[in-house]
Amino acid sequence: MSRRGGLQAGTLALPWPMGGASAKGGAAADRSVLAVTVVLALVGLVMVFSASAVVAGNRYHDSIYFLKRHLVWLAFGFLLLQASSRLDYTVWRKLALPILAVTCLLLVLVLIPSLGVVAKGARRWLRLGPISVQPAEMVKLVVVLYLAGYLTRKEGRITEFARGFLPPLLVVGLLAGLVLLQPDLGTVVVIGLVTLGLLFLAGARLVHLFGLVPFVLPAAAVLIWKSPYRLQRLMTFLDPMKDPTGAGFQVNQSFLAFGSGGLFGVGLGEGEQKLFFLPEAHTDFVLALAGEELGLVGTGAIMLCYAALVLKGFQIAARAREPFGRHLALGITLLIGLQALINAGVVTGMLPTKGLTLPLVSYGGSSLMVNLLAIGILLSVSRDRQGGQGGGIGGR
Amino acid sequence: MTTKDPYRGRRIVAAFLLMMGFVLVLFRLFSLQVLQAEELTARADRQHRKTVTVEGGRGGIYDRQGNPLAINMDVPSVFGVPASLENPSGVARDLARVLHIRADEIEKKLKQERSFVWIARKVDPEQGRSLERLSLDGIGTVLEGRRFYPKGPLLAHVLGFAGMDGQGLEGIERRYESYLRGEKQLVVLQRDALGRTVFPKGLNEQAPAAGHTIMLTIDEVIQYITEKELDEAVAASKAKGGIAIVMEPRTGAILALAISPKFDPNIVKGISADRWRNRALTDAYEPGSTMKVFIAAAALEEKVMEPGTMVYAENGRMTVANTVIHDHEKSGWITFAQVIQKSSNIGAAKTAMALGEERAYRYLRAFGFGERTEIDLPGEAAGLVKEPRDWGRRSLASIAIGQEIGVTALQLVTAASAVANGGWLMKPYVVSDIRSSQGQVVAQFGPQVRRRPISAETARTLTGIMEGVVTNGTGSRAAVSGFRVAGKTGTAQKIDPQTGAYSSTLFVGSFTGFVPAEDPRLAIVVIVDEPHAEAWGGVVAAPVFRKIAEQALPYLGVSSRAPVRLAMASY
Repeated sequence: MSRRGGLQAGTLALPWPMGGASAKGGAAADRSVLAVTVVLALVGLVMVFSASAVVAGNRYHDSIYFLKRHLVWLAFGFLLLQASSRLDYTVWRKLALPILAVTCLLLVLVLIPSLGVVAKGARRWLRLGPISVQPAEMVKLVVVLYLAGYLTRKEGRITEFARGFLPPLLVVGLLAGLVLLQPDLGTVVVIGLVTLGLLFLAGARLVHLFGLVPFVLPAAAVLIWKSPYRLQRLMTFLDPMKDPTGAGFQVNQSFLAFGSGGLFGVGLGEGEQKLFFLPEAHTDFVLALAGEELGLVGTGAIMLCYAALVLKGFQIAARAREPFGRHLALGITLLIGLQALINAGVVTGMLPTKGLTLPLVSYGGSSLMVNLLAIGILLSVSRDRQGGQGGGIGGR
Repeated sequence: MTTKDPYRGRRIVAAFLLMMGFVLVLFRLFSLQVLQAEELTARADRQHRKTVTVEGGRGGIYDRQGNPLAINMDVPSVFGVPASLENPSGVARDLARVLHIRADEIEKKLKQERSFVWIARKVDPEQGRSLERLSLDGIGTVLEGRRFYPKGPLLAHVLGFAGMDGQGLEGIERRYESYLRGEKQLVVLQRDALGRTVFPKGLNEQAPAAGHTIMLTIDEVIQYITEKELDEAVAASKAKGGIAIVMEPRTGAILALAISPKFDPNIVKGISADRWRNRALTDAYEPGSTMKVFIAAAALEEKVMEPGTMVYAENGRMTVANTVIHDHEKSGWITFAQVIQKSSNIGAAKTAMALGEERAYRYLRAFGFGERTEIDLPGEAAGLVKEPRDWGRRSLASIAIGQEIGVTALQLVTAASAVANGGWLMKPYVVSDIRSSQGQVVAQFGPQVRRRPISAETARTLTGIMEGVVTNGTGSRAAVSGFRVAGKTGTAQKIDPQTGAYSSTLFVGSFTGFVPAEDPRLAIVVIVDEPHAEAWGGVVAAPVFRKIAEQALPYLGVSSRAPVRLAMASY
């Protein structure tokens, strides 16, 4: 366990020594991050197949319909990961603004009725030839790239309000506004939290950060009040048993899946909840299916994988040679960690329902590609560490 | 640079908060999956019991002209919703009167703590209507597909049958189960305002797709002719049973396949598996003299014999390996053609010996004996052809006269077809195509050549010899006026199960042949098992061949040859 950053020593034990092997220095990418990524991706592959086989068989007469697509995305994603981990991450600093501009454009395009594809009441997909992409998934990583660049430029001046703290909030606010029009509140929450987290970690003044609360809360209240489905979701969250066949259906079915799984699960492919009861068993609610088929042992292992990924991410950030790398690593870590936490919170009924995937595990091409690219960038940062500095989470 | 990093503390705080988040999730998972597991599992079970599987109708089976042989009828099934019953015993009495089921049995079902119970599946439509007139609260009917075979016993052994839940249990129904079966849908029963369980509305709008339709190569008319003639012959000779197969020699398509005695697939309760087994392919038997045809084919192909080659028939008695082989008709020197036509055992044994063990074995295997024909029906047997190294000293002679070898009727007709079609061993098949419920062809099956055991010339020569069997040999009763018939009789002694030796009273009489010899359209095998009195294949089986051919050829529009018309005119 990390030696100097000992605060979290009691909460989590990693299955491999931290810092020890890499303390000798060298430019190899962090192997444990790659290993955890591969494990999560494989778990995802198995669960996606198990979750979707029956539905795909019924809907497309091809039980491996989703599996085939997931495999293709995984293959492309890992190519992207390999490429980006070998690429010098500082190029992203120069690319951040152009990518930001392109993403804005895509977010506008997806809102145009003739271009954006509507599914389940939201206009989220852009059809590009044979594939469709979700610009909102890209936004998450783009925000991290932009903020990492911005915070590097404004190193030391972030404590000023008008010239340090406010500008990134306006930029992210614009992006969030566009995403909200789709509507996709889940993504907005994730990019909001990542932004606040990065500003906090870069030294923004706590007065500024807490000063946002009186602005954010009323805005959230209005958003929820003005859209009936969000209000319904919130009410459902507060009392899921009130209407088990209606709005509470998803979360209720999720509970039943977790409960039937017990400690060791009912066995791979044996889950009954996925047979039309558990909606989105291969996307947003894949953790519930893992809960049913693999039990607490499986879900616990999955959550520990994310925790390990987060700790390694902080370690990589602490050892980064330059501020841009540090901000980048922290942003990516927050992005994946927070999304995993929020998804787990939703699926276990601790948070109201949002359309968020479980990163690296859920079915969904855009999400998978973006997350694997993010891991690739994180690996690239890990190559550029300072030799001999153990560091742990806090660094020195 | 890190030494200047002032925000290490903030990173520790952030990491700590995230870790607390993970700990929270783990606690929550522990609570759901361990502490609440029992209660949630029970609820999940209850929910699953509240589902009903709705299935699209099973696909139909049709003959080559599109006549229905197996179809689905929608008949009512009666279900109860115990929770909404106030007076279960009264309702049970009412139901019992209509359904003719014991009231106490129904009452027991209605008192179960379930939200849905079947009371009677697939009842008479008339009973369903009476129930609807009663309109009992908490009792409902839903239409389910019941399998119905409109032609009764016709083709029953090939069709097989399906069980109560529409699952194929035998024959085509079983082999093509995955195609015939309709699409499955799980429907969660919903509650209306009064808390009654109901089938969701709009069930019919999103009804699951029906299963595929199977089109057979079987022709209903030829099948009817074949079954009728076989049944009559079996009855007339007081035989134990019989098998007849009609095949299209050029393609391997089965036109008819009859087993006697028959059964009605609409009523399979209480019928033993013995009755519905498709013995034409599940049972191997010792074919007797029919085998001589294929030994002759080998001898001709290998140029060991020619039709005119003289063979000494030892005046009806020859000793092989300390045992004696007899001929039923004592002869001296006869031609090779006469060996087949008179069905000389001694001549056949000598032919096989001239071929030698290795070649005889190779040709038998080439004709498909000892291996499955790969027909698209379940339960096929491979028969038994021992390898030469397992043969005794008499084996070669025995095999030549159809002993020490086990073949199925299907193997025989397929091998005979190879002689008929110029030497091609075809793969037999009964399904010509599979269509979706919308009528699109999903899969199509055509002739498939497996191999070529003999040349066209050998086939032609052998056909000539086999014509002699009918014109002036043992198979004269197979002759069809107006057509040239080629064939071979077979009379095999059965092994007496008590003594383990060949019985002198239990026989299998058969005739295998094809017609018209010059351009065969039908290859037919007829087997009569344990006929009483006359057991000769030429007597019990050959006439069945004739009667089937006499009716099937005109039906197929095959014209008889000109010389016969003259002959008929002359008398």
